[in-house]
Amino acid sequence: MTVVQFTPFSSLVQPAFWHELTRLKIDVLKLSEESLPITASYSVGRSITDRETGQEVALGCNLTISDDSFNDTKTLQRLPANSVRVNGTFKNFNTIEEFKEADKSALFNQTADEIWNGIKATGDISLLNRFLLITFADLKKYRYYYWFAFPAFVAKPAWSIDDAGWKSAEEHIGRDALSGIHTQLQSSPSAYFLARPRSSEDKTDSHNYEIAPISSLDSFFANTPAEQQIIGFVDPSPLPQNPGWPLRNLLTFLRIRKSTLNPIRVLCWRDVDIPASGKPWKSRFGIVQASVSEAEGDVRPAAVGWEKNPQGKMAPRMADLAPMMDPSRLADQAV
Amino acid sequence: MQHAIQRNIFALRDYLSPVLKESKFKEHGRITPEEFVAAGDFLAYKFPVWTWEKGDASKARDYLPSDKQYLVTRGVPCLRRATSLAYTDADEDAERLLSFGDSSAPGDGDEWVETHAGRKPNHDTAASAGEIGDIPDIDADADGAANALGNMSLSGSKAAPPAGETPDLDDIPDMEEELEGGDDEATAAPSGPTGGVIDASEVEVAKGNLLQVRTYDVMITYDKYYQTPRIWLLGYDENGSPLTPPQVFQDISADHAFKTVTIEAFPHSKSLQAASVHPCKHASVMKKVIERMNAGVVEEQRRLSGGSATPTKEGKKWPFRKSSGNKEEKTPNDDDVEGMRVDFYLVVFLKFIASIVPTIEVDSTTAF
Repeated sequence: MTVVQFTPFSSLVQPAFWHELTRLKIDVLKLSEESLPITASYSVGRSITDRETGQEVALGCNLTISDDSFNDTKTLQRLPANSVRVNGTFKNFNTIEEFKEADKSALFNQTADEIWNGIKATGDISLLNRFLLITFADLKKYRYYYWFAFPAFVAKPAWSIDDAGWKSAEEHIGRDALSGIHTQLQSSPSAYFLARPRSSEDKTDSHNYEIAPISSLDSFFANTPAEQQIIGFVDPSPLPQNPGWPLRNLLTFLRIRKSTLNPIRVLCWRDVDIPASGKPWKSRFGIVQASVSEAEGDVRPAAVGWEKNPQGKMAPRMADLAPMMDPSRLADQAV
Repeated sequence: MQHAIQRNIFALRDYLSPVLKESKFKEHGRITPEEFVAAGDFLAYKFPVWTWEKGDASKARDYLPSDKQYLVTRGVPCLRRATSLAYTDADEDAERLLSFGDSSAPGDGDEWVETHAGRKPNHDTAASAGEIGDIPDIDADADGAANALGNMSLSGSKAAPPAGETPDLDDIPDMEEELEGGDDEATAAPSGPTGGVIDASEVEVAKGNLLQVRTYDVMITYDKYYQTPRIWLLGYDENGSPLTPPQVFQDISADHAFKTVTIEAFPHSKSLQAASVHPCKHASVMKKVIERMNAGVVEEQRRLSGGSATPTKEGKKWPFRKSSGNKEEKTPNDDDVEGMRVDFYLVVFLKFIASIVPTIEVDSTTAF
């Protein structure tokens, strides 16, 4: 048994977001420091084959924000298939000192509380992925200091996976099942889903799977044997032995609201397209469990999830856009 | 200042130049906005990584549909610096002919020269890092050039930071905080245990500047003045930070980096700046490529329709033989062979762009 290790999100901020923040700061926010709603998105984890070495190179486990992140959810452009929208809280500080001295624990706990309340009170699955972004925009120098937090609850005892580890989902449930799930995910995209073999009279159809939203947990699995109940999620992690960050809060959710579901059979969904014949599916499958602890679920567990900076420290990141925004620097590039 | 004036002149020129009405793509390599949309639709349909974007509403071009202003694909990986691909005499023997398009119909005269076919993978495996010394240190030169470019700053400010380092580290407030008690055992380490797959960050640590997974957002707009598509690049380093212009130039083949690729205002945003391949030569290059391909296609179509009893295999040469729904069905005789369809223009265009940015995998079309 090994402890399940989750791949943390890494933030990917499109330059257009900083342009939009600049506009917002000057025209709308001015000196206001109030928190604003913001949206981000993540997609399935990707890896590419290096053409020269033939090795698989994993790309990041990215959470992306762009210039339309400030927009109302309704006006947002449609996301590509297998992408998931995440809501968060954005807070911009007026000075670097305020940014440094802000009570980050309080902000973090506030977001974690929102997630916790979602789990405890409403059972609203869409709240599981909330994130926090604090910024300071040095508009004169075109520098943007920022710090993301993706709160996730620490499970005690930790989730562990059996000795088989994370396996190819193709081996476990077969290509037919995966293409069945793929088709249904295309028509009803969701961050988390339930899957079970379609109950049918004739055995020939037994490989076909059907999916349902997490909210129908009880009814959907009512007549399904435990070893056929599968919990799936869109996995932004490309690493074969590490599921992505979103699974963490989902497991907490299941432990609190459905403690009988243990062990949990997890499908890490990583396929955008049906692979060409001969190519393997990328999705992973694993059976995770945790020894059930005593009276749990009344107190909010500890949460972690501040993003580290490129040096691996608990510190903010900085985007220096002077080379791409400063008019005098731009003039130098002109031919 | 001069740049500002120049930009305004370009904007005026763009405004004044008439919208191309007639199809010219075979004669001049130029296309109309309608053809751009058709080719874009085809690209987005065939390769869903490409999507249409609206862009900034105030910057919308009225000769394009409001929801189809430009094409974008995000997170295009770029494993190596183009400077490491620099062509040496030793590589010349390594050229080999590639059949274009679908491998099901080889030998129809559409071979392309692949230049780095013989490159040994051993440059880049972690184990053989010791052999790096054998490779001419081209990166150093390019960095020098890139820094020189950075040094040309009017204000005489500091040189652009060398690639791979976080710029201006001193300016980041030192505010490491103890926000989380101890290490969380369930958080995968950045270069966590990997089985068979290399994590990008690990790659970078292990191999210095040889393999850094940068990603690019690639946009294709329609340039009204040159009447061709135009390519734009926004780069990110392996940490998700935006790349500086000198860093972007490392991913552009040396023949183009300081001539045809410049940093300019992205036309569908109020303030965004992006690297762009200047389109002044696109039309003539596209014309050559299209002529060459068209000859092959026409020949193929003649062969297929030339009275042979076998029915033409629709779909075998899908890019060219896609039946044109809006046109009357053409009778198969020699004068009416359709040749290459304009839908295919952007796919060809991407192959041409791939030669300018050899390490950015813009040409997803080969993956299928």
